[in-house]
Amino acid sequence: MKLSKIVNECQLEKIVFCTDCEIENGYCGDLMSDVMAHAEAECIWITIQAHKNSIAVALIKDIKSIVFTNNVTVEKEIIEKAEEEKINLLRTDKDSFTVCGEIYCLMEAETAKD
Amino acid sequence: MSTDYSQEKLTLVNELIYQIKVKEAMSKKVIFFKENVTFREIQLKLKEKKISGVPILDKERNIIGIVSIDDVITAFDKGYVDKKITDYMSRDVITIPQNFSVVSAINRLEKFKVGRLPVTESLDSKKIVGIITLSDILNRLLVVVQSIAEKVQDKEVNNTQISHDLIKRVERKPLRFEVKGDDFDSAGRVASITKKYFQNLGISKDIIRRIAIVCYEAEMNICLHSLGGSMIIEVNRNNAVIYAHDKGPGIPDVKLALKPGFTTASEKIRALGFGAGMGLPNIKRYADKLEIKSSLKTGTELKAIINLGVRNEIK
Repeated sequence: MKLSKIVNECQLEKIVFCTDCEIENGYCGDLMSDVMAHAEAECIWITIQAHKNSIAVALIKDIKSIVFTNNVTVEKEIIEKAEEEKINLLRTDKDSFTVCGEIYCLMEAETAKD
Repeated sequence: MSTDYSQEKLTLVNELIYQIKVKEAMSKKVIFFKENVTFREIQLKLKEKKISGVPILDKERNIIGIVSIDDVITAFDKGYVDKKITDYMSRDVITIPQNFSVVSAINRLEKFKVGRLPVTESLDSKKIVGIITLSDILNRLLVVVQSIAEKVQDKEVNNTQISHDLIKRVERKPLRFEVKGDDFDSAGRVASITKKYFQNLGISKDIIRRIAIVCYEAEMNICLHSLGGSMIIEVNRNNAVIYAHDKGPGIPDVKLALKPGFTTASEKIRALGFGAGMGLPNIKRYADKLEIKSSLKTGTELKAIINLGVRNEIK
């Protein structure tokens, strides 16, 4: 599913949007080691951790899209780093549970269509 | 040849049917008859050899006619099956010269709705040197495609050879990093650089992923829990070796530290999503070998080895 579809359907705020990549799976987690161990490459990562290390983890794991939930503050230098590394940053005031549910339903519907 | 299927997918085959000559694909062993035979004799031969038609040749092997299974059936039907073929066989035979491409053979087979083409020595000659059917052409195509596939495979093997050469060259040049304690801003740097470095060596994605995770966790451990230290990443013929040394304070109980969920991290560290007690367990999980030496006087030395060859799935 195209990232843009998720952004529109879940009404996510685009902080950095550089590539409309194809999303096939997702991971939700706020513990860096957990994300390091379990997230899949190219997935959409839902987290409340908006700091430089999130970008580092995304880079190492080849994660191209991060959704920050609970409307967390995203510092300017994180935005700059994400732009430099071509990582999409999205934000929502919903909590992780709600957003995960929405994205999950979208993806399920898409799979059902195939 | 009909072209209503995808052109794109057929490019290789399209190319090949122009390249392959009739003589490469034809059967050289031709079953044929002289014209002094009856339809019944031909019918018995067709049955015996499980073929659907035979050319009729003269003494010099020049083609003078052809009898197919259809002709035999007609002969049965019209009651001349025991007569000599001379007066009934079709003398207007579609042939193909041996130096033509198989694409023209395919065209003729389709255009004249025949199952086989006698192959002549040359365009001006009537001398038969072989016979060609669609299945001969398919067989030849498969053989050629197979040999192309083998060449591609060899090339891939050579590619991995190149990365082995690269590895030999970098063997003596390990990566060295200084890692500061409590410096969250540059954390992840070692793992990022190391990842790019291994990508350039042409190592498989799965192995790189594991090297990156081990580097990241080792780096974060120095950053989160120590007074600072250094990391060295070495490559030797079969392995990536990751050394992480710190200046202290050392781990009182290494066995306990390796237990998933065990942590000594502060509230501040945990709020950033670290210190979940997963660092060392992650290293242990993704490295092929892990050694930890720790002393409360001199600090901790970690050595993780990741095999660059094939390894079974993660534990």
